Amino acid sequence: MRKVLVIQEDIIILKILERLVLVNDFQCKAIRSLDSLSIEDQQTNFDFIISDILFEGIAPLEFVAQVKEVIPHKNLLIVTNMGQDKIKQEIFALSGIDGFYAVPIDLDEIEAIIQAY
Amino acid sequence: MRRLQKIEASFADIVSKYLYVSSNDSITIKQINTTLKDVGIKPRNKNNIQYLIHLMIRTQRTILGGHFNKLQQLYAQIPPYGVSIGKINSRNWYRKARGIREIYEMNQAQYFDEIFKLINHKNIYVRREAQIAMVVFSGWESLRFLPYLKKNMTLWQQIKIVEKLFDLHPKPKIKWLHRAYETDKLFGKKLLMRIIRKYELHGETGYILDHLNHEDYEVRETAIYCVQSFGLSSRSVNYIKELYDDIPDATQQGQLLDYIFENSEMDVDFYLRQLYSDNDELKLNIAEILWNNGYKEKVQEFYYEQYSKATVNAG
Repeated sequence: MRKVLVIQEDIIILKILERLVLVNDFQCKAIRSLDSLSIEDQQTNFDFIISDILFEGIAPLEFVAQVKEVIPHKNLLIVTNMGQDKIKQEIFALSGIDGFYAVPIDLDEIEAIIQAY
Repeated sequence: MRRLQKIEASFADIVSKYLYVSSNDSITIKQINTTLKDVGIKPRNKNNIQYLIHLMIRTQRTILGGHFNKLQQLYAQIPPYGVSIGKINSRNWYRKARGIREIYEMNQAQYFDEIFKLINHKNIYVRREAQIAMVVFSGWESLRFLPYLKKNMTLWQQIKIVEKLFDLHPKPKIKWLHRAYETDKLFGKKLLMRIIRKYELHGETGYILDHLNHEDYEVRETAIYCVQSFGLSSRSVNYIKELYDDIPDATQQGQLLDYIFENSEMDVDFYLRQLYSDNDELKLNIAEILWNNGYKEKVQEFYYEQYSKATVNAG
């Protein structure tokens, strides 16, 4: 079954995204930080990772680089409160980013991407 | 602390299930209210209710589109037991203002009448929030309340209103703007000019131009500030040149002079008229414009003419 990993510190956004993924017939692992990632998860090739970039103790760009390196995946979507143009440009400059959604988000856009997969 | 975390987790679960209905795991309003009650959302637990309000507002700010509307449907069916409207009746201005803010953040338009009564409240923060609430609830139509405002609206409040209107109602409704033009309140005029500027309403720039020579310094200041956002037709710039002499403040004339210079063809007659007028304060600026744009001899002519009648003590 297709699998999605959601990483969001904000539990409300986390739960909403998790639910969005589940009703679209994906399996979902929803976590609030990378600490909750098991060894097994790190070996899963996720179809999507939907992640925030703002976490305690790590710079946003570093976090994205770490996710890209550590967790096998096919698509990486960023959903974050940090929507400044500069951040967006820097994130996209990293390459391998398939979408950037700043809060307030239109959930339909994210759902459309998942459904189109 | 644990209690609040429990409320947050339950609320997250409720919102997610309400927004995305699953055939095998749906949730009813009755179940939602029972769950909230079980985690401590009860009339006597004011802190818990306040925390729930905080979560509701926070969540609403994160979502756009169809799900935003769905969220509002949910909010209309769950507590917080009119706690925000209760705050409006408080004697404490801070609680009053906070109550209004919560109500408009959660878009509870059913309290419109109660909030409308506060748009002229003696406390600036209370009336500020009440005026913002009008914008949130009524959008462009809220401009019809301008004549009813009795107290001055600060620059900060004008900017807040313009920004809120733009965020929530980006499509202009000119009908309400035209009706509001009749206001004789100075802050109202300033507010309308700022709205024209923010929405880039080129067709409405006439309203700004008509206030360039207003008798009030601040109204003129706003008009000059706003007109600078627009490029105007030569006919409109000619109109500004006509108004130029009526402006009683040299600094403001100077700002307008810069605008005229940057936004129109070189009009030598206009600048020469200013150079030979009685208005001494801007002659140096005018001479500079002429000098730098190929009319050195005109400036020199003017310079020497000043000494033609004077006695020269040579030798």
